[in-house]
Amino acid sequence: MPALPKDMVEIAIKTGASARAQVTTAPRFKAGDKVVARNINPPTHTRLPRYIRGKHGVVQHNHGGFAFADTRAHGLGDQPHHVYSVRFEARELWGDDAAPRDAVYIDLWEPYIEPAA
Amino acid sequence: MDEHSHTEPPSEPTLRIKALESLLVEKGLVDPGAVDEIIELFEKRIGPRNGAKVVAHAWADPAYKKRLLEDGSKAIAELGFTGLQGEDMVVLENTPAVHNVVVCTLCSCYPWPTMGLPPNWYKAAPYRARVVIEPRKVLAEFGVDVAPDVEVRVWDSNAEIRYMVLPMRPAGTDGWSEEKLAGLVTRDAMIGTDIPKVKA
Amino acid sequence: MNGIHDLGGMQGFGKIEREENEPVFHADWERHIFALLNLTIAAGQYHVDEIRHSIERMAPAEYLMTPYYVHWLHAAEDLLDKKGVVTHAELEQRVAELAKKGGK
Repeated sequence: MPALPKDMVEIAIKTGASARAQVTTAPRFKAGDKVVARNINPPTHTRLPRYIRGKHGVVQHNHGGFAFADTRAHGLGDQPHHVYSVRFEARELWGDDAAPRDAVYIDLWEPYIEPAA
Repeated sequence: MDEHSHTEPPSEPTLRIKALESLLVEKGLVDPGAVDEIIELFEKRIGPRNGAKVVAHAWADPAYKKRLLEDGSKAIAELGFTGLQGEDMVVLENTPAVHNVVVCTLCSCYPWPTMGLPPNWYKAAPYRARVVIEPRKVLAEFGVDVAPDVEVRVWDSNAEIRYMVLPMRPAGTDGWSEEKLAGLVTRDAMIGTDIPKVKA
Repeated sequence: MNGIHDLGGMQGFGKIEREENEPVFHADWERHIFALLNLTIAAGQYHVDEIRHSIERMAPAEYLMTPYYVHWLHAAEDLLDKKGVVTHAELEQRVAELAKKGGK
């Protein structure tokens, strides 16, 4: 691709480059579902932080389909997946010393989660 | 570590960037005019005054507020704020029961169209490490005291959705114009590390 | 990867240092690497995900000790070399030329 010319800069910035992408499979999860974040430790790119892995949360919302960062970072294509907003209680993440009402919300691509037992 | 250690580079990066830019321009990959234009866009034209307008409009217009909370990207676009690092927006409402605060623990993701570029503290290790595990302590350092019966929600922007906090409208602002209301909305209030206040 | 960038929940980082009236850019080098990285993305050289992963692969101590935009320089150099667009050798040669000319 050629250089972005000066007179196209503002329009390019205002258009952006959404990572939204069509997913052909039905979503595995829906709001209210109890899930557990998988314990994956790839040496490659992932957006599943260590502090969430193996922890139990509740799906809040399906944001829709997005290109998968884990594959896009390595030239393996968009491979879109559903991305869910998942709520993790602070005490689940950090133990009983955490504030009882607090929570972390994080966005998880479908491959990052499994149904909780 | 002096206070500039996070911003003053060793001299080498300065030279390397000059070298890189000259090569990229020579190879036709970067237009020098575009370099100046994009710098100016983010230094002068895009910034948190955009987000403040969104917040003020939501405070003044309940129907807009409803649209904003239902579909952040669409409602923010009504005011003309769109694009890079804000294509997919979710707006988080602070209420008497819930206080929201946003972070990107893994890097520095931040909603550029409404808030411009993030401050250094948001991108540096201490905030990213601490706010998910001890949000109340972090908020207290910012001068925000959250009552024990209020729920603190920390939003980690690890994917491509970008988050912005809609703070509560302060008391004593009845009948204020949107412009005046926007003046109350700080950048930190839209991250969740400040609360808008009417100055005494 | 389980890199240094994955900071959520780590302890021992101390106070959050804030600069009063912080400018958008502190210096020209910040302005220019901001521009270069964004414009090379726009020119289709790489995705933001590749940039993030490049930064994640910085040596941990370097990641923590360098200013933010030095991370962007690292990614630009790394990825442009990997793609054969601007090799390390080419860049070093140009750096040497500019240094000789007295550029700073």
